Amino acid sequence: MNSDDEHSHNVSLHLDNELSDQELEDFRAHLADCADCKSQLEEEQALADLLHRSRPLYRASDELRARVIAAQDVSVSGHVPERLHRRVLRLLKQSMGPGELTAFPWRAVATIAFVFVLGMVFVPTIARHARAASYVDTALTTHRNYLDGKLPLEINSESPEEVTAWFAGKVPFDFRLPTSQLLPNDQPAYRQVGARLVSYGNSYAALVSFAMKNDRISLLVASSKSAEAYGGEEIVSRGLTFHYQTKGGFNVITWTTHGLTYALVSSLHTSASRSCLVCHQNMADKGEFREQ
Amino acid sequence: MSLTPEGSPVVEAAAGIEHIDGLFSYALVLTRNRSEAEDLVQETYVRAIRAMGSLRIGSNVKGWLFTILRNIWFNQLRHRRTAKVVAMDGEENAVDFADTAKDPYAFYVSKMEHQQVREAIQRLPADFREVILLREFEELSYQEIATILDCPAGTVMSRLARARTKLRTLLSAAFKTSDFARKEVME
Ligand SMILES: [Zn+2]
Repeated sequence: MNSDDEHSHNVSLHLDNELSDQELEDFRAHLADCADCKSQLEEEQALADLLHRSRPLYRASDELRARVIAAQDVSVSGHVPERLHRRVLRLLKQSMGPGELTAFPWRAVATIAFVFVLGMVFVPTIARHARAASYVDTALTTHRNYLDGKLPLEINSESPEEVTAWFAGKVPFDFRLPTSQLLPNDQPAYRQVGARLVSYGNSYAALVSFAMKNDRISLLVASSKSAEAYGGEEIVSRGLTFHYQTKGGFNVITWTTHGLTYALVSSLHTSASRSCLVCHQNMADKGEFREQ
Repeated sequence: MSLTPEGSPVVEAAAGIEHIDGLFSYALVLTRNRSEAEDLVQETYVRAIRAMGSLRIGSNVKGWLFTILRNIWFNQLRHRRTAKVVAMDGEENAVDFADTAKDPYAFYVSKMEHQQVREAIQRLPADFREVILLREFEELSYQEIATILDCPAGTVMSRLARARTKLRTLLSAAFKTSDFARKEVME
């Protein structure tokens, strides 16, 4: 190994904390005199810093976490159906005569027991689905009540900035409507009408109402801790997953981003993608959501 | 895995779950495919929990999990000979927004930088990708990496040096952008 190689060798070892105490001391002394090592170390350190700022490289999704926990549970308790099976067998032996026993569908019992165990394991998933369903239901009920005049708006304003300011401090999350960037001559597809607070769970959700002629569209926003976007037809666009469903005579689109879950409710005779314009009419891609 | 006062091992429901981001990242640099990576992580945890009994107290659980993941992947590869390479999408979802929401501009810059780091790493050859991930992101020692890769520590070191040189070339653009952006944020 020539001397240059040995120098860069030590730079790497130093960077990776692989030098012993004595070697480290020697290397530090060497650094003071060797400009080559010093500049190489700086260069290497810059790369290392950049990589360390990017930790973790990727993050496992909550779904994957839930899958792993559920899979480990099933794996650990894989013998449980067997044990249940035996217990059921013993109970039945006590209550039935030996002749009847042979005709009994043992496989079915084992299957039911196994399904029961799976059911226990996947309770969190079931609870999650229930939470998602209840958010869609809340959005639908809110929209209907608003249409029936049972939920008057608390602020009437066409300005997204005003509504954003009105919600500040009233809802337990940071929610901003996209700022209007329409030019004075642009005709918005939908007009923002106003907003109000809606109780959801133990807390509040934000309701923003939009209108065009007789059409009304509701946007319900809640923290993703209490509301989940799930079910329906999934459409992935720009890194977000949108869940489309038709329920109770309305189109409902739900999605989650930046810790907030959104539900957009519109009447069935409005195309669901057209309702996206309540946000996208302020954006450059609005053409994609016009008549389809 | 932990021990009760009596000394009998207790298997927790989510054993080793603290390593899930690291394992998922490792799976993604090996497979370059999100759904394959997720399946690989799940399979790793399932195998790990079954084999927990054979693990000695004081063993390196982290290194052991990475070894299991790698073995499963290379076994699968052997069975199908060629790995499919599928482009990844929706990566922005994986970024943590929580602590950066207060300074959207700085956040935007750091997100761009993160994205460039990911792209550069994914462009490296497979043996460079994994050695970078294990050293720079998982902070494993040469010896720990050597155990996972089943090769001498000297090989780890020379491969790491070549991987860094290549990565530096790929990232030179990102360096310029981020230095520039950081300066702007401070001004
Ligand atoms: Zn030197």
